[in-house]
Amino acid sequence: MKPAAVLRLPVTRGVSVLAVLGAIGLGLIAYRFYAGLGAVTNLSDGYPWGFWIGMDILVGIALAAGGFVIAGTVHILGGHRFHPLSRPAILTAFLGYCLFIFALMVDLGRPWNIWKALINWNHASPMFEVSWCVMFYTFVLALEFAPAVLERLGFTRLLKWWEDVTPFLVVAMLTLFTFAMTDSLAWTAGIATMLLVWEGLMRTGLMRRDRQMPVLLIMAGIMLSTLHQSSLGTLFLITDKLGPLWYTPILPLLFLLSAVMVGPAMVIVEATLSARVLRHKSEGRLLNALGRVMPYLIVTYLVVRVSDMLGRGVVLETMRGFWPAVWWWLEIALLLTAVALFATAEVRRRPWGLPLAAWATIAGLVVQRVGVAVVGLDVPEYPRYVPHVAEVLITVGIVSLGLLAFRFAVAVLPVYETHRAPAPPDAAVAIAHPDRTLASVSPA
Amino acid sequence: MAGVAGASSVAEATPRDPSLPGAADRQRAAEAAGQRAMLFDSTLCVGCRSCELACNKKNDLGRTPDVIFEGRPAEDARALAPDVYTYVTFHQWEADPSTAAFGKVQCMHCIEPACVSSCPVHALHKTELGPVVWNGDICLGCRYCMMACPFLVPRFEWESRNPAIRKCNMCADLQEKGEPPACVAACPTKALRTGTRAELLAEAHRRIENRPRRYVHHIYGEFEAGGTNFLHVAGRPFDELGYRRDLPLQSYRDYTRPAMAAIPWVLGGLGLALGAARWVSDRRSAVAEAGEDGTAHDDTADGGRNP
Repeated sequence: MKPAAVLRLPVTRGVSVLAVLGAIGLGLIAYRFYAGLGAVTNLSDGYPWGFWIGMDILVGIALAAGGFVIAGTVHILGGHRFHPLSRPAILTAFLGYCLFIFALMVDLGRPWNIWKALINWNHASPMFEVSWCVMFYTFVLALEFAPAVLERLGFTRLLKWWEDVTPFLVVAMLTLFTFAMTDSLAWTAGIATMLLVWEGLMRTGLMRRDRQMPVLLIMAGIMLSTLHQSSLGTLFLITDKLGPLWYTPILPLLFLLSAVMVGPAMVIVEATLSARVLRHKSEGRLLNALGRVMPYLIVTYLVVRVSDMLGRGVVLETMRGFWPAVWWWLEIALLLTAVALFATAEVRRRPWGLPLAAWATIAGLVVQRVGVAVVGLDVPEYPRYVPHVAEVLITVGIVSLGLLAFRFAVAVLPVYETHRAPAPPDAAVAIAHPDRTLASVSPA
Repeated sequence: MAGVAGASSVAEATPRDPSLPGAADRQRAAEAAGQRAMLFDSTLCVGCRSCELACNKKNDLGRTPDVIFEGRPAEDARALAPDVYTYVTFHQWEADPSTAAFGKVQCMHCIEPACVSSCPVHALHKTELGPVVWNGDICLGCRYCMMACPFLVPRFEWESRNPAIRKCNMCADLQEKGEPPACVAACPTKALRTGTRAELLAEAHRRIENRPRRYVHHIYGEFEAGGTNFLHVAGRPFDELGYRRDLPLQSYRDYTRPAMAAIPWVLGGLGLALGAARWVSDRRSAVAEAGEDGTAHDDTADGGRNP
């Protein structure tokens, strides 16, 4: 495919609808910065968090989990056949995090102070952990996606430099992160040593070294993601405003498990949507393989979710009250539907089967996260919070901008393999068989 | 120290009583014994709202006396606002309409505050002297403090372009100079008192012991949420005076402490497990390749990128 053809972003109906929604969102955001949060939200002193925290942050971060789940499957567990899915997953994660940071700026009262979280450390605060995870993992994702950009621009020298420097950047980053989180020199030294030992093993040839995707980078992505996904659950442990259907001491674990569950679902949705929009063949066989794993991931989450409720003795809460109960049953029903769809070979074979099952999973996750951030919150002293229409429109606008950015990126960058420009023969081999191009000998 | 000693001797008498705080919270309470604190005695309060007026003046909250004294009975913490740091709540009972009782709402200045432990940047922090204060230079406006505070105290300026977190700071600047907070100085009936936490706790115990039929036998803030620097005694059950009575006796930081302590273990454990998993999968594919074509895997030093 000629670069000119790739570069053109056709203005279809979908693209223009997204552009209009994005513009509305941006307009409302401008008004929010002019008139304050009260002008565009229904938030109050009793319900200081609402729809944005639920959708933009809790859901947004979870939906970006495809990045670390697929990267881990490919580069850690040796699932090399999933390699074609890893770049789109990483791109989605990166864009997701950029969107999330943008949305966070809208939600924060004083966003211009955000960088001060780098200097003022409160080791006790889950929000401190969240803010560091966001910054560091976004950086890791940028590093993971950099090769695609450098490849596209043909910066071979820079790509090589990236390969050499990245592992040490990762070690420095995780060391600083550990120190910031623990304030303990022993832990910091321990983590740094461990990472350096792994890198040393790879440089001396005792372990395979993947120059194109340093193992340490993948490891950092998984470590930071694990902490970030779970820390979003930790945030809610300190509030006593959350109802018994959602509040549990193991909320961090539930957030992690559900993120791991929704990651592959997002990859399936992206791949099928992109295949339709870009009119290339979707990675059907791979997606089917992902689909076969999905029931296990969802059932794991459901088992932990329900047994936790049994253990806390709050099962009868599912029959009490209207909205919380309906919302809880909706979450469970959507996820059970997804399990049934994914587990049925006949459904998986249909073109609509996998996307439908994946959407059910995503919907289940959205219901769970919104349950924690909106529906489950109860402050009897204050009138119940219902999102303002402007809150919804701003979120819709930000998501629209994200979809546009993704559409633009897959049109311009070598994200999907069927879409990549013809490469020199060796590089083509590298793309098709990444496991065969691992450099196992020391460069020295 | 009498109050603290009294509290701990009660705790020792029945060590497994769940209605008494754990060792860590008692330890923190002992450390806070010398901090500045306040005592509100509901039985002495006549509801004159001089404290509100003084607070308004001291903190430049910009409300006129007319607005403050205008009759508007309030029962709970909702009446706090960016320009209302403290509030006297008004309660009457149908059975006895000739009497009224008052409660006092303002920041409780907890010993280990939920807001301070949740603030990512220490914008909210507890000074050495005891007051919990806010530093606008570093606040992100994330409002996590508001989610965390069990007393619903921090207020946010929803209509502002540069919103602040607003709440009582126990007149930290006056306390530095050894002066009492404005509300205490203004109270004509001495319903509000200031002193160290130990002194006031002892005073509260003494009042209850001396007048056992006048007071409810509970010091609100002695153990609630791990203990607070603002103590309350009253002649009516506290829930009838707008106070939350369902609070745990442990500090709210305890709810996030285990998850935060797990961070380095997660990092270390994942680091080891992921590296090991990678090793295993590499060995497995190397063996598989050796089996396939009888040779070891492809040793292209530069990853096959540069022909």
